[in-house]
Amino acid sequence: MAGNIKRLIDTIITQRAHGDKILEGTVKIKLILKGIDPKNYTAQSDDDPVVMGKLQEMIDEYKLNAEG
Amino acid sequence: MNIKTAFSVESDIREAVADIRQQLGGFEAEMLVFFASSVFDPERAARLMGDAFPHTVTFGCSTAGEIVSGRMLTHSVVAMAFNRDSLKGVKVEVLENITTGNPVDKAFDAFERHFQTPPAAMDRKKYLGILLIDGLSGAEERVIDRIGDLTNINIAGGSAGDDLKFSATHVYANGKSYTNAAVLAVLEPAGPFSFIKTQSFSPLPQKLLVTKVNEAKREILEFNHKPGAIAYAEAVGTSVADAPTRFMSNPVGLVFEGDPYVLSPQRIMGDSMHFCCAVKEGMELNLLESTDIIADTKKALEAARSELAGISGIIAFNCILRTMELRQKGLSDTYGELFAGVPTIGFSTYGEQFIGHLNQTAVMIAFH
Repeated sequence: MAGNIKRLIDTIITQRAHGDKILEGTVKIKLILKGIDPKNYTAQSDDDPVVMGKLQEMIDEYKLNAEG
Repeated sequence: MNIKTAFSVESDIREAVADIRQQLGGFEAEMLVFFASSVFDPERAARLMGDAFPHTVTFGCSTAGEIVSGRMLTHSVVAMAFNRDSLKGVKVEVLENITTGNPVDKAFDAFERHFQTPPAAMDRKKYLGILLIDGLSGAEERVIDRIGDLTNINIAGGSAGDDLKFSATHVYANGKSYTNAAVLAVLEPAGPFSFIKTQSFSPLPQKLLVTKVNEAKREILEFNHKPGAIAYAEAVGTSVADAPTRFMSNPVGLVFEGDPYVLSPQRIMGDSMHFCCAVKEGMELNLLESTDIIADTKKALEAARSELAGISGIIAFNCILRTMELRQKGLSDTYGELFAGVPTIGFSTYGEQFIGHLNQTAVMIAFH
C-alpha cells in the first residue's frame, strides 16, 4: 500500500487550518518539528507503519475526522 | 498612551520596584510584564513587584540582560504595563513541574473557562500567548509542542536567563517565583498585533540529515549516517577541533519556505554534537551562514510597523547568543536604538519560543 501517509498529513493540515494559509504553514512546521516533513511524502510513498501510527495518534488527539 | 514602559537601574530591588511604581504612577495597569536581572533575589523581585501592583496581573522572569525602548541594559528591571483600553482580557497560569509532568492541559482548561472558548477554537487573530519558561529546565520542546497540539493561537516567548551563570533561572507570576516551571499568559489584545521572528542567517546548500539522535540530551550522534561532529566539520570545511569556532556564524536550521528555524550547536563531545535545542531523527537541516543582524532586525521591525500601521508596544525575546554577538561587535547601542521611539521591553534569553523552541533568534510581539 502507498499514499496513506500523505492522506493522513493532508487530513491534519486541512482540518486544523480550515483554509487559513498562514495556519497551514504553522501546522506544517509543527509536523516537521515532530519529525514528519510533509514534503517528503507523496501519493506514491510507502505506508511506513511507524509514521502512520504517529499521524493517527495526532488525528485522534486533535479529534479530527480520519476519513477527511 | 495605553501601553507604557518603565525601567530601573537601581541596584537594590526594593528601590528598583519603587522606581518603576513611581514611573507608572497614575497608570491603571490591567497587566504588567517585567524582566529582572538575575542579580536580584528572585523571591524578593517577584514579591515586591506583586505587592507594588496589587490590582494588576503581574508576571515575568529572570534574564541574561534586558532591553528597553532604545537601550540594551544589564542589572536592571524593565516593565511594560497595559491598561484596559489596550487589553480586553488576560489569564495567567503557572505550569509547574515541567520536566516530568504535563501541566499544559490543565492550564488550557483554565483558559477555556476564563475565555469561554475551547483552546482548539481560539482565533489566532484575536488571542495570543506569552510563554516564559525556566531556561535551564531543558523542557521547552515538550511544553511548546503540547501547547501547539492544543491550540492554533500563536505563542511567543523566551527561556529565562541568569546572566550566563547557568545556575538557576526563575519565572514569576502574581508575587511568587518558580523554578522547573513556566508562566503562560493568554491575552486578548484590544487592537491588532503581529509577531516578528528574525534571525540573521541565510541557508547554505550543505544539507545535514539527522540520522541518529539522543533527543532527551539534545545530542546529535549522526548526520548523513556519519558521526555528527565529523559531518558538521566537513559541511563547514574545517576540522572537528576547529568546528566550535564556527558555531556562532554557522549554526544549522530547519528551512521552511526559505525561512530558517535556527538550531545552535553548543559543544562537541567525542564524535557527537550537543545542541541548545532538541532535534528529531529524519529532520533535514541546512547549514546556515550569518548575515547582518542590525539590517535584518531593522527590516523586520519596518515590516511589522507597516503591517500594523504603527506600533504602540513591543515585547522582545532576544537570544543571548545574539546579545553576545552584538557585544563582541560593539553593536549593542546600535541594536538598542532600533527600538527607540517605540515602547519596548525585552530580555536576553536562553532560547526563544515561536511554534517551536529556537536559538539565535529574536521573537517579538508587536501591538498596534
